Amino acid sequence: MADRIEGVKKLFTSKSARVETNKGDAYYEKLFEKCQARIEELKTQQPINNRLDITDVLEMQGIERRDFLKWASAVTGMLMLPASFTPLVADAALLMNRAPVIWLELSDCAGNSEALLRSDGPQIDEIVLDIISLEFHETLQAASGHQAEKQLEDAMETFKDKYLLFVEGAVPLGMNGQFGTIGASGETMHDHLLRVAKHAAAVVAVGSCATFGGVPAAAPNPTGAVGVMDVIQGKPLINIPACPANPANMVGVILHYILTGQVPELDSLLRPKFAFGYRIHDNCERRAHFDAGEYVEEWGDEGAKNNFCLYKVGCKGPMTFNNCSIVRYNEGVNWPVGVGRGCIGCSEPDFWDKYAYERPMADAKIKAPTGGVEKTVDEFGLGLLTAAGIGIGIHAVASAVAGKKEDGGEA
Amino acid sequence: MITKTILEQIEGEASLYFDMKDNLVDFVTIAFPHFRGMEKMLEGKNAMDALVITPRVCGICGHSHVLASVRAIEDAYKNSGFTVNITQKASKVRELTLVLELIQNHLKWIYLVLVPHLKELCGSKELLNTPLKGAYGASLATKILAIFAGQWPHSSYMVPGGITSDFTYVDLTKAKSHLQKLTEYFETETLGVSVEEFLSFESCKDFASLESDFAKIEHLLIDLGMQKKGHAKDAFLSLGTHEFSHAAKVKGTKLFKVVSKYIDTQDAYAPDEKSYAKNALYKKQFYETGPLARCMAKEFKLIKNMHRRFKDSAYTRVMARIYETAHLLAFCKKLLDEIDISEVSCIETIALKNISGIGEGVVEAPRGPLIHRVQIKEGIIKSYKIITPTQYNIASGTKENPSPAQQAMLHCSQADAKFIFRTFDVCSVCTTH
Repeated sequence: MADRIEGVKKLFTSKSARVETNKGDAYYEKLFEKCQARIEELKTQQPINNRLDITDVLEMQGIERRDFLKWASAVTGMLMLPASFTPLVADAALLMNRAPVIWLELSDCAGNSEALLRSDGPQIDEIVLDIISLEFHETLQAASGHQAEKQLEDAMETFKDKYLLFVEGAVPLGMNGQFGTIGASGETMHDHLLRVAKHAAAVVAVGSCATFGGVPAAAPNPTGAVGVMDVIQGKPLINIPACPANPANMVGVILHYILTGQVPELDSLLRPKFAFGYRIHDNCERRAHFDAGEYVEEWGDEGAKNNFCLYKVGCKGPMTFNNCSIVRYNEGVNWPVGVGRGCIGCSEPDFWDKYAYERPMADAKIKAPTGGVEKTVDEFGLGLLTAAGIGIGIHAVASAVAGKKEDGGEA
Repeated sequence: MITKTILEQIEGEASLYFDMKDNLVDFVTIAFPHFRGMEKMLEGKNAMDALVITPRVCGICGHSHVLASVRAIEDAYKNSGFTVNITQKASKVRELTLVLELIQNHLKWIYLVLVPHLKELCGSKELLNTPLKGAYGASLATKILAIFAGQWPHSSYMVPGGITSDFTYVDLTKAKSHLQKLTEYFETETLGVSVEEFLSFESCKDFASLESDFAKIEHLLIDLGMQKKGHAKDAFLSLGTHEFSHAAKVKGTKLFKVVSKYIDTQDAYAPDEKSYAKNALYKKQFYETGPLARCMAKEFKLIKNMHRRFKDSAYTRVMARIYETAHLLAFCKKLLDEIDISEVSCIETIALKNISGIGEGVVEAPRGPLIHRVQIKEGIIKSYKIITPTQYNIASGTKENPSPAQQAMLHCSQADAKFIFRTFDVCSVCTTH
């Protein structure tokens, strides 16, 4: 009993977010000056090619300056920067057409392209992304075949060592890469990626396929698919997992790069901390029900009708690091937990084998990236809940402990 | 001489091998050089995992896949002796979200595929290339979808027995308001006339006076002679059971009954390159699927009239996709008005581990019938087979028995052939699952 009281105490006093959101005035002052200098320098450069001017487009779309600044202030918050950075973020967005981007699609379902460039994301994000100098995107550009090949060569030559390389999709290595070939020469996806990555300023792996192999790498991994970080070495690499990756996080990464000229602070899986520094569980709208021990036991039961916690029908929220409980999807309309479905942990490695659907974490044999203590604690925690009949979010305590462990291991 | 062309700006990549004779296409083979092995990775997994994995077959039609999956599992329940009942509310919401996926697909196709290539082909200054317009409309559609499904793409909110979302009146009102906005957008930006009036059109004369994007597209198609080109098989297939479509086999204008068990696949004919896509056939014959097939099966007057004059030309195919968008918007409104929020979203079912049997789920996806066939043993998937719509239209058959797309490209210039190919709304990521 004493342990339990201690557990409750710990629960209500522990920090829910694991990322340091305030690094002190001195740090931000220095960063501000650095960003300001960079923005000034970028302003002197010409926009790449004939990209549209964002102010014109915003005007065309009937978006007022006030709305644009509102957006910039929200993005500043998302990037975990103080509000004083808002004008700089707005400036950086206006300078998006100074960042050349090459986008490669490998073994994937095109879901991230869909999420990013065609369908969701707040409207301004979408416009900003239309403004980025997308020099090459197989799905979206008009050129095809040899013409496309030439366009890629040209972009790589013109922006040598300057372009951001976005990669969507896994890299199939099985059968010497023959499960995926590209272009007229029948180059494998693996060779294609290495060639284009060679002179990239940084590589951004977008979506779960590109980061950890995704669904193509599900057991028995028929095509020998791996993530980009397994084949690219000696380059700054940023992972933006999730299936699909949230457009807000892609915009965040590009903006951060424009603003600072650097990749954002990353966790041990190379994910930007501003987006993946905390668990979705920490900000979940159903968290109160978890803490109160109110669960959905079966689809369609009384718990489901009352929007109780989805933990027992397989929600992997307590183990999943992502900001979707805050940012949400489709212009902030909703997210999976909002429709009573439970998180499948799509931004964690191996989600398709370990995290997917209905098995509560205790039965899913998850060895978590946080150190793998969750199983025993979950069993203990659930046992306690059932036996004592009182709702204590004891797993949250354990997760906080596990979180601390990971902090130590992070680069 | 055979020349190879790679087509991008489709989802995935396709290689077309053109065999030219006197500068006209004599034959084309189609290869999809990409493979992921989704069916294999489903084996041995809990059947509920299919609801998470199969939407990821395709980033454009994920919703169609989750519906086909859940229908297949529910069918397996039935074949094991446990009927799964779902409420009107659940069934209407499933239908609504599916239809919204079709709408967003069609809008993107109009503004991101059709318009740019139409412009390229005729060098017209009349029609503006406005991809953002398409993206805007599509995002409105996916916003409504997300209210009920949580997110788009890749939502998995359907479960055996219904849906997981318990939405409120506020959600429903929001959905109605977004739909109103979407409909107004389509009327102002694309049609130039109200959806209601557009749907009442019976012949091409009815829209002769319009000056909208739709009218410009129509003029350019005629200028290019697309009403005389791109004829496929004049045989159509619509399979999925829905209120917005009608399951039928259509030969010319005659409707016949269909049974999905006659659908089977064969290896693609691709002598020049390994293709991982299979051909799908009904009773060993190729049929065209998608909006034109659905419009023919539903016997819409305007499309039937176009078909009477121009048969299954590239023109009719394009018009059918735009017409269907209007039809689906009107249908969405009807569905939203009919949803009874007091019904339950999901009826509890017995645990999946008690289920052993086979099941089939058939759905009308944006490009036509999508079939999932599953064999379950004590809740675990023994085998899983997916047959996607693109496999009918863009199959690669032999010269003696060409697929609809192959047939449509015959005797055209290469430039025309590539445009005609795209009128089928090519998508290959699902084909090479």
